[in-house]
Amino acid sequence: MRRYTLAIIGVLMLAVTGFAGNIYFNKRPTLWQNPDILIWTPESESPVDPKELCLSLKRNNPSIGEPKCRLFGEWERDSIAMHYAVWLKKNIDPKLNEEYLHIRHPALMNKVQLLEDNIVLYLADNGNTISVAIFDETSTNPKVAGSVTKTNDKIALGDEIASTFFAGKTKRRLSKEERQKMLEEPDDFYKEVPNFRAWAGISIGYSQAHIPLTPDDWTESHTKSQVRNYRITKDSVSLWNFIEDDDPLLSAYVGGIWYGFIGLELIYRFAKHSVKTDPRDSVYEELDHWDFYQHEIGLNAMFARSYNIKKWLDIDLFAFLGFQYSFFVEDIALKDEVDKPSKAYNVRIKFEEAYKGGLIGGGAQFVFFNHYGVGIRTGIASRGRDMYVDPTPDAAAAPTIIGGSTIDWFISLGLEYHWSL
Amino acid sequence: MVACILTGCGPSYHWSKSHPLYKQVPYSTLSITGTSNAFILTRSKWFAKKLEVAPESAQVQLTSYSRQVFLDEMRRAYPALQEIPDTAVSKFPEESQKLDDKVFIKGHFPEQGVSVKDTQGNIPQYILIVHEFIIGTDINREVFYDYDLIRQESAEKKTSKNLSAILSYTLWDNESQRPLFSAVDEIQRPIVKLTMEDLRAVAAEAAKKIRINLYEGVQK
Repeated sequence: MRRYTLAIIGVLMLAVTGFAGNIYFNKRPTLWQNPDILIWTPESESPVDPKELCLSLKRNNPSIGEPKCRLFGEWERDSIAMHYAVWLKKNIDPKLNEEYLHIRHPALMNKVQLLEDNIVLYLADNGNTISVAIFDETSTNPKVAGSVTKTNDKIALGDEIASTFFAGKTKRRLSKEERQKMLEEPDDFYKEVPNFRAWAGISIGYSQAHIPLTPDDWTESHTKSQVRNYRITKDSVSLWNFIEDDDPLLSAYVGGIWYGFIGLELIYRFAKHSVKTDPRDSVYEELDHWDFYQHEIGLNAMFARSYNIKKWLDIDLFAFLGFQYSFFVEDIALKDEVDKPSKAYNVRIKFEEAYKGGLIGGGAQFVFFNHYGVGIRTGIASRGRDMYVDPTPDAAAAPTIIGGSTIDWFISLGLEYHWSL
Repeated sequence: MVACILTGCGPSYHWSKSHPLYKQVPYSTLSITGTSNAFILTRSKWFAKKLEVAPESAQVQLTSYSRQVFLDEMRRAYPALQEIPDTAVSKFPEESQKLDDKVFIKGHFPEQGVSVKDTQGNIPQYILIVHEFIIGTDINREVFYDYDLIRQESAEKKTSKNLSAILSYTLWDNESQRPLFSAVDEIQRPIVKLTMEDLRAVAAEAAKKIRINLYEGVQK
């Protein structure tokens, strides 16, 4: 039963929309409150009665206020305007957009610009239908074109025109002074990109050794590895063989961008990684905790593109490329009851004093009201050994550097404050 | 965008534009106008020398020859072709029409709502308005119609490889007063030894191109 009701409602709705006339295109002209509607027609007699049309408008859209409707005699007596009106009658067509209905005569173009906030309602009798177009001062193309079914009942016709073309929100009409002020007001969207914009921010994020969208087995051997007897792992090329890789990442940064295009950013990143001690190894029974604090300082070069979306919102998309130094500070402690550490404890692994690495990635900054920003960044960071050391003859005999190539992926979300100079 | 970067973003042009309501090629109802003033010969001294014509009358003589060949060729394609004096359309102000983002043609178009009449006072249904017919050597339509290139001066050249013609035209629906089809065509003919036959062939080729383009421009 319910299904039938729905079907009937659907059919009725279709019937209503079918009855309500066709719109060929609608460029949403401003519908003013208490508008002056000027009826312009190439016919000898207007298809609608101005008074009835006004009443229809009030019935269909109460927010319209007190409309005034009259025949647009000035244009009906003007031969150039009448030529165009006759032309439009032949050319108004569902297939043609507003550009094809453009007013070409300069004299009529000038007249359109002098309409102020009056609405010109064009009506032409095309046999079974009445073609409708709406003009306003902002364009020499019609703003709306469409048609309604022709009836001799002028009240019904007025209702149909009102419901098809004059529904929607209305705006208060401006006074002469307000119009003048509007004309002189600067454009909100006209804004020069500042020569220099700086920001400072803090962010919270997450990093892991596995880079999304890459095969697991690229990193599995490192992430699954554990440390036995304080120093033994399968491999020592990556730090992730020794310490946990998936940890929160905190960072602070300051940066600046020139001409909204090229920028620099100084960053400090911090994370705490625990050593992956093998729980089966009894030597760790003496151990209370063993962690490494990762401190990183880096410099990024950025390339950005700004988008001015709203008056209060700018979006900058950027890519960055930089380098960083990583320092791993050990934090280790034995349990209180242990007096003397094991021999293995004393000869445990030591990381390099500093690692050099690179950063590559991209992100976006959303700047609200020119000052308050939210930044999102993602990328890949690496830490490696110093590439500037010349190989020595006994390089083969030298112990390998732990963490010669340590790569991780990170993502972070930051809060920023921006200044423009 | 990426494809654009990879391929180097070469300019691409649309040299014709059809009205959405251009549904049928006019055949027996076509008239033509604009031909008395459209023909222009560039480098007329060079042509005069090559074709052994008096330099002072070369412009008049050679353009009227090309015009005659062109009209004859058009009449062969459209036997009922009517010629309307240029003034019927050229009295209207000159306007530009956009074919492409970069390509604009200039011409005289009848006013909206006003039907053009021929000398007998009849209203022809379709009019082919020839805006420009430029004859020269090694000229390209890009240089004449691309908004970006229009101010470029071409280098003075000693040798000429091709005899060229560039023509712009509009098929005008005189009943509804709308441009049904507009195009810019370019014809290049290699010069071996320039003769009047080359000039004739270029004008005939232009007429043939118009016929093909009017046919291909129809909106299905």
